[in-house]
Amino acid sequence: MAELVREIMIAATPETIWPFLTDPKRHVEWQGTVAEIDVRPGGVHRVLVKGRHQAVGEYLEVVPLEKVVFTFGWDEPGHPIPPGSSTIEISLHPEGEKTRVRLVHRGLPEDAVSDHTRGWDHYLARLAVAAPGGNAGTDD
Amino acid sequence: MDAALKALAEPRRRAILRLVWSQELPASEIAEGFPDVTRPAISQHLTVLKEAELVTERREGTRRLYRANTDTMAELRAFLDDYWTSGLERLRDVAEAAENRKRATKGSS
Repeated sequence: MAELVREIMIAATPETIWPFLTDPKRHVEWQGTVAEIDVRPGGVHRVLVKGRHQAVGEYLEVVPLEKVVFTFGWDEPGHPIPPGSSTIEISLHPEGEKTRVRLVHRGLPEDAVSDHTRGWDHYLARLAVAAPGGNAGTDD
Repeated sequence: MDAALKALAEPRRRAILRLVWSQELPASEIAEGFPDVTRPAISQHLTVLKEAELVTERREGTRRLYRANTDTMAELRAFLDDYWTSGLERLRDVAEAAENRKRATKGSS
């Protein structure tokens, strides 16, 4: 099983970032249009993405101000990444006044991994030329 | 778009899509690229790709020609960019705005 890693540097402290991961009202400010999240081991993670893609999972590990780990999948029949099939870990690493946010998606089926990384890299490189300016903007 | 994601979950279909990405090809020539796959299986893959709107089909006499549908790929790109990259970028934007509000409040008190 391969994994996918994304990192971003944020000019804010973990104390400021944490509510955006744990409070449903803050969560929808950056991801999803409806979020039902109960951030404690065994708690539900349901985020509706772009109004029609239902991501579902369950929190496995919660370390306040440090990290959340939850299972992840799409609640759609036949989807290559079904609920419970993979896990996402989002961790916060303070560096001075900033915080490095690291997202690791583990346990993806090989096909999905190649879709998201190897396979997609090919298409995305072509599309970077063919379809410039594809900034997704708000999550509607 | 879900149909497109599912269609692409099959490695052979991704390989077919790569073949017709920048050139239009007849089914026969696509099949030649996969000597270990039967013609009916290739036809089936092409049907799935067509129904997912990942390729377009054009008839020329008795031949059927296929090429990648870049509009659908652009939609997929927007979805994936949004989920993986823009999601974190939006988190950065809202968290930094919140941080700036906190600092402004501290500064004024």
